[in-house]
Parts: sequence; C-alpha cells; structure tokens
Amino acid sequence: MKTDTAAGSLTPVIPAIPAPPMIEVDAVDFYYGKSKALHNISLKIPAKQVTAFIGPSGCGKSTLLRCFNRMNDLIDGARIGQGEVRIQGVNIYDPQVDVIALRRQVGMVFQKSNPFPKSIYQNVSYGLELQGIADKKRLDVAVEKSLRGAALWDEVKDRLHSSALGLSGGQQQRLCIARAIAVEPSVILMDEPCSALDPIATSKVEELIQVLKKEYTIVIVTHSMQQAGRCSDQTAFFYIGKLIEVDATEKIFTQPGHQQTEDYITGRFG
Amino acid sequence: MKHSIGSHPFTTPPVGAARVEKVAFQVFRLATYSILLAATLIFGIIFAKGSQTIFVREFPFVNVAFLTQSPETLHVFEHEGQRHELGDRAFRAYMEKRDNPTIKEESYVYSAGGIFPCIVGTFFLVVGSMAIALVVGISAAVFLNEYSRGGPLVELLRLAILNLAGVPSIVFGLFGFGLFVLFAPVFGAAPVVGSFSLPLGFCYLNFTGWGVSLLSGWFTLAFMVLPVVITASEESLKAVPKGFRDGSLALGATQWEAIRTNVLPYALPGILTSSILGIARVAGETAPIMFTAAYVVRDRLPWQVDKAVDVLFQGVMALPYHIYVVSSKIPQNEYTERVQFGTAFVFLAVVLSIALSSVILRNRMRARYRW
Amino acid sequence: MSVYWEQHLNDIREQLLMMSGLTERSLSQSVRALLERDDALADLVEAEDSEIDELEKRIDGKVIAYISTHGPMAKDCRFLITASKIASELERIADQATTIARRTRDLNKNAPLQSMAGIPVMAREVQSMLRQSIRAFVERETNLALEVIGRDKLVDAEYKEAASEVETAIMANPSTTARELHLLTVAKALERAGDHATSIAEEVFYLYKGEDIRHSKIKGKLPV
Repeated sequence: MKTDTAAGSLTPVIPAIPAPPMIEVDAVDFYYGKSKALHNISLKIPAKQVTAFIGPSGCGKSTLLRCFNRMNDLIDGARIGQGEVRIQGVNIYDPQVDVIALRRQVGMVFQKSNPFPKSIYQNVSYGLELQGIADKKRLDVAVEKSLRGAALWDEVKDRLHSSALGLSGGQQQRLCIARAIAVEPSVILMDEPCSALDPIATSKVEELIQVLKKEYTIVIVTHSMQQAGRCSDQTAFFYIGKLIEVDATEKIFTQPGHQQTEDYITGRFG
Repeated sequence: MKHSIGSHPFTTPPVGAARVEKVAFQVFRLATYSILLAATLIFGIIFAKGSQTIFVREFPFVNVAFLTQSPETLHVFEHEGQRHELGDRAFRAYMEKRDNPTIKEESYVYSAGGIFPCIVGTFFLVVGSMAIALVVGISAAVFLNEYSRGGPLVELLRLAILNLAGVPSIVFGLFGFGLFVLFAPVFGAAPVVGSFSLPLGFCYLNFTGWGVSLLSGWFTLAFMVLPVVITASEESLKAVPKGFRDGSLALGATQWEAIRTNVLPYALPGILTSSILGIARVAGETAPIMFTAAYVVRDRLPWQVDKAVDVLFQGVMALPYHIYVVSSKIPQNEYTERVQFGTAFVFLAVVLSIALSSVILRNRMRARYRW
Repeated sequence: MSVYWEQHLNDIREQLLMMSGLTERSLSQSVRALLERDDALADLVEAEDSEIDELEKRIDGKVIAYISTHGPMAKDCRFLITASKIASELERIADQATTIARRTRDLNKNAPLQSMAGIPVMAREVQSMLRQSIRAFVERETNLALEVIGRDKLVDAEYKEAASEVETAIMANPSTTARELHLLTVAKALERAGDHATSIAEEVFYLYKGEDIRHSKIKGKLPV
C-alpha cells in the first residue's frame, strides 16, 4: 500500500526540497535599547503553510513576529542588530524598503481583537481607502470578498453598516482577519489571536486558519500548545531570545529534539 | 455554639479605635458638606440678588433691556413733584421735551442700561481663544504623545507646560501686554518710524503691537489655558487603545493617517470635555484681559466696524471685567448693586451655557464613537 | 458540530476498518487453507501478515501524533485509546491466522486426518464473533458487542471439546499424534482469536458507553 504519508503522520510531510521560503530569517540579533531580545535567529518559513511560534512569555517570539512587518520600528530603541529578514527574497530592513508597502504585504492580527469603532464595512474597507481606493463598487466587492474569506459574511451581511463593536469577541477577531486580507497581503501574522476567545470562537478562528493557509503564509504566535498542534505545519520553540528548535509540528510534539522543548510542551518547564 | 467574648474571631475592635473611627468619619463628612455650604451660599446669593435685576414681574418676565442695551449713566432727579430714575438717553429726551428745566440731578455711572456689549465681548473672547488653544494644544499633545520619543527636550517641554499652568493670571496679562499689545507684528505698506520693521519685499512687518484688541486677548487667554488643553488632550489620546494605532499601521497607514482616522476622532470627545474647564477659566479671568483686550466702556459692538479686519484689532467689554469695574472702580451706592449682581448672574449663566453646549457636543461625538 | 480536525479522526477510523477487513480475510483464508488443504492460500496468509503489522504501526503512529498535537478529550480520547487497542487485537488475530496457516502447511505434508475435531464449527463461530465486534464498532451498537462477549464461553467450550477429541484420537491411533497436535494448536489459535474478538467487543463497549467491563461479572450474566 503506497501513500504519500509517512507511517503514522497525520499530514503530508514537508517535501525534502521545499519551495523557496516566504520568509527567511538569517542570523538575526534584535535589541531593545541595550538589552538583546533575539540571539542569532535563523529560520525559514515556507509559503502557504502555518508556522507556529511557541515558548514562555518574554522568549522573543512576538518580537520576531513583529520584525516581519517592522512593527518594532515604533518602539523606542528597538533595532535589528545584525542579520537579515528576507521576505520573498527581499531584505525588509534595507533602507530602500518602504515600510508602508511592506505592511500591506504582511498583514497582522493582534492578540486583543481591535476592530475600529466604525461600521463593519468601514473596518474592512479601511485598508483599501488608505491606498486611495474610493470607488464604491470596488470597495463593495472587496468588502464582501474579504468577509467571505474570513467566514463572517453570512453572519454580518445584514448589518454591514452597524458598529463593529456590536459583534461578539470571536466575530470581532474574524473581522480583524477580514480587514487584514482585504489589502491582499501574502503573509498574515497572528499574535496570539485566540487568547481572549472562548473555545468555540477559538475553533472557528482555527478552522479559518486552515482555509486561509491555502492562499496565505501564516505565522502564528500562541501560548496554547494544542493550538500550535492543531493548526500548524511547522513549529518553532523559543526560549529567552533563542530559537531552540524548529521542525514539523508533529515531530516537535511527539518527539522533540531538545530537552527544553520537551519540558515546555509537557508543562514541566522552569 | 457559644463563644466567650474575646475568643470570638469577629469581636468588635478595641473601644479606643472605634471612637477615633467615629470622629474621623464625622470630620471627613463635615469637610465634604462644607463644600456644599459654600456652593449654596455663592450661587444662592447671586441668584437671589441677580434675579431681582434679571427677572421682572410683568411680561416678558425677563429684563430685556438689561440683556440687550449698553451700560448707561443713571440720572436721578425730582421734577414737578415726581422722582425720576432715567438712563442717559431717556434723561436727555426728557430734558429736551421740557426745554431743559433746571433741576437738582444726581448721576450714577453705569447704573442704568444693560450689559449687552459685555456678553458679546465675553463670547468673542471665549470662542477665539479656545479655538487657538485647541488647535495649538491638540497639536502639541499629538506631538508629545504620538510622535516624540522622550529625551531631554521632551522633558523640558513637559516641565514648561507644567510651569505654565502655575503662572498667575496677572502675569499672563502683563506678558500679553508686553508681547501682543506692544510688540506683536502687523503687516504694513510702509515701515513705521520708531519701531522695528522687517521688510518682506512686498510689504513690511512692523512690530508695533496689536494694541488692546481681541487678537491680543485671544492669544493671552489661549496661552493661559494651553496647559489645561494639552494635559486634557494627552490624557484623551492616551485613553485611545493602542490597538487602534497598531491596527491602522499594520494595514499600511502612515503615522499621521493612523492618528487622523483612528485616534483623534475618538480622543476629541474627551479633549472637549476637559476643555470645558478651560472655557470657564477663559471666560472668568479678569487679569489677563484687563491690559490686553478689555475696555471699561465701548459704545460700538464688535461687528460695528469699518473694515472686516478691524474686528480683530478692537478692544471689547467683558463680563468679568465689567463686574470688576462696577464693583471697585465707580462710587458705590444703592444703584450699583443691581448691576453687580445682575452681571454676575448673567456671567454665571453664560459660562454655564457654554459649558453645557460643549457637554452636548461631546455626548453626540461620544455616541458616534464608543469602544 | 463538525470540526476541522475531525478528518484526522476519520482517517484513523478508516485505517482501522481497512485493517479489520484485512484481518477478517486473513482469518477466513487461513481456515479455508486448512479445510481445503491449500498450501498456496496458506502462503498468502503469511505474506499478508506484514501488511497488517504495518497498518497497526501506522494507526498507532497516528494516534500518538493526534494525542500529542491535539490534546483530545472525552470521546475523542476514548476513541484514540480504543483504536490503538483494537489495532493491537487485530494484529494478534492476524498472528493467530498465520499460526493456522503454518500448521496447515505442516498438516498438508501428511495424509488428511479423519476428523477435524469440530474445528470448522469453531472457526465459523470465531469469524462471526470478529465480524460482529467490528460491526458493533462501525454501527456503534453496544448490544452487538455484549453478544460477542457472551459467545466467548461457547468458543471456550468448543475448544475443550476439541482438545478431548484430539486426546481420544491420539489414544486411538498414536501414529497421528504429531498431526493431532498440529490440529490442537489450530484449535488453540482459534480460541485465542475468539478471546481477541471478545477484547475488541469490550473496547467497543467502553468506547461508546464509557464503561470498562473487562474482568467484570457482567460476562457471566450475558445471554448466550
């Protein structure tokens, strides 16, 4: 009996010669002022897959995530020391890179769902309006497409123009995802997207992630081991600013290569 | 189950502590009630005395003349066995009609007529200075809260703002007099002899000062309330969740786009709320305007000017200054009191109504943006 | 509610069904090889055993992967544990089939015995028990499972009968001792296969009712 799955694996194994990675982290050091937050991180994030970053609080996983759309630029004294972060082969810390253009390519969903206190429609169209798109028809189409993409359309189509703050927590988070995909990025970064959601809303978001990964490269920071296990293809474990281990999620969760990883995922840490 | 006294875990505390507790409680309560007493006294007396001037027994029940006329001198005299109390114009008409009879007449300055120019003047001062203070203050707050990244310069700025808040209002008056009244630049076709002139090519900037004028008053008052506005704006900006900024930026907004579309609109209600305090101060202060914008008396109303630009360069009457004038600058007699309390009553009403309208405006904005 | 990770569970379920199908076939083929004295079929049974072993490993791998990545709860957790155990029981049944196949080849080297010591009946019973325990699993029918558990006593009795028949035959004709002992081994293998089918039924009962009935008195009270 020949199948393309290895013995006992839940998902197809990442091919030995993968497609060129969407994001390449190459020997990156990152500083907040004088303190070093990331130590010599090297990591490849494959396209159209879900990569999960796990690790205890303060391990640098969010910092690395925020390197990918340069949200760290806003923090006083935050800077990349050495190394490169390449997205689609381009070093995004190159002086010639326009941060605004980068952030349109690399969308982000935050820990606390942060819909703007505007209407549902305005929330989704916001990113497009920033790009100067004012054509009502085009916006209508894009809003519907994004809301459908975020599996929210059926729930909100009758109240597009009422406030986004009337939505439930899970719906708000999916609205934030719709808002992110409206500008058609190639990467979506998710910073603990379900930490404030109940299990049902969480599973809806996770299910959405499974759908989204067909079109987008997704990087998710999570404190939930199960979430990393359920939704990701690749998992990276960080500890005090160092990348301890990165491998296929099943490998990490069944047979991690490092004692620290095993201690962490089995809850025997510290 | 019975416990012997003392072994019970919930026994009352020792008697001494309980007594101190009771006394402390009463002291705090009295202190709080004394505020109520003071407020009642102030508002009560002003209302009781002021309403005698403002309200009348017959229709329309409001003393329209007091609210719509300019101050006049009161003439009190007896003629043909009758005692008359007439304002300037009425007195002159009376005399002319009777071919200026010789009478024994006493006149009391500002005790007749109304306070309309003062109301208008205060309104102009408040609107203009608050507009300037809000624009400058909000901009400064945006810079401090959104753009600046700390450092000694920003610390110095904050110290300056803090100190500005502590400057007595009379000092602001003198400062405004020195800077705006005497020195501020005015565009002119030719240089003015005896003052510093800056040639600009097509015209000259003459540092001759704006004189006692609305403009001088606006800027003086604006600088006075600036700390209030900046602090209020910063607090309101801080209250806007960081997520809105991050959300905008992550979608490819520039920092200014994020602030303009997703921060300022939500902060404005809060800014306005706190600025109400500023309005009350601007409307109420006498010292800053007594050298810069206020006239003891001015017959023309602010819009009665020859050229539009003159609106800015005219002094005005103002309610607080008028109270000051009628209370301490003219001889006191049985007729002055009605003007004093009437003016104070109107003054309170004006400040209250300005505050009220900004509360309504704020509530409307807040209903639109709620998170 | 259907959840997106259900596909993994369904995957395991399908593999398990495939494995049980193969095991059933293996068992019936070994019995047919014995009764029809078919060496080729016996060889086939032996050859196919490795495939079943492979499936057991694969199912266990998936179960472990699923448990460690998904942290399953309640019925999902019971399902995974049960799946692993059923796979293991099936593998052992297939091993018994291999034993039967090997003995068949040994028996085929000599002339056929006069009596098969009730083995055809016993084999039918055991095969039917296996089928029924799998049906109980597929159809979520715990009553079927209970029936299987009840029938184990029958098989045990049949084995005892077969053993005494073998004993009698040896005493009557000592020259057939070796062949009769092979036959006894086959009977023992069938009896063991019946035990495994019973274990499967017990696992199925636990899976759907959440109640562990192994080693309990309930079996004594079951209808036969």
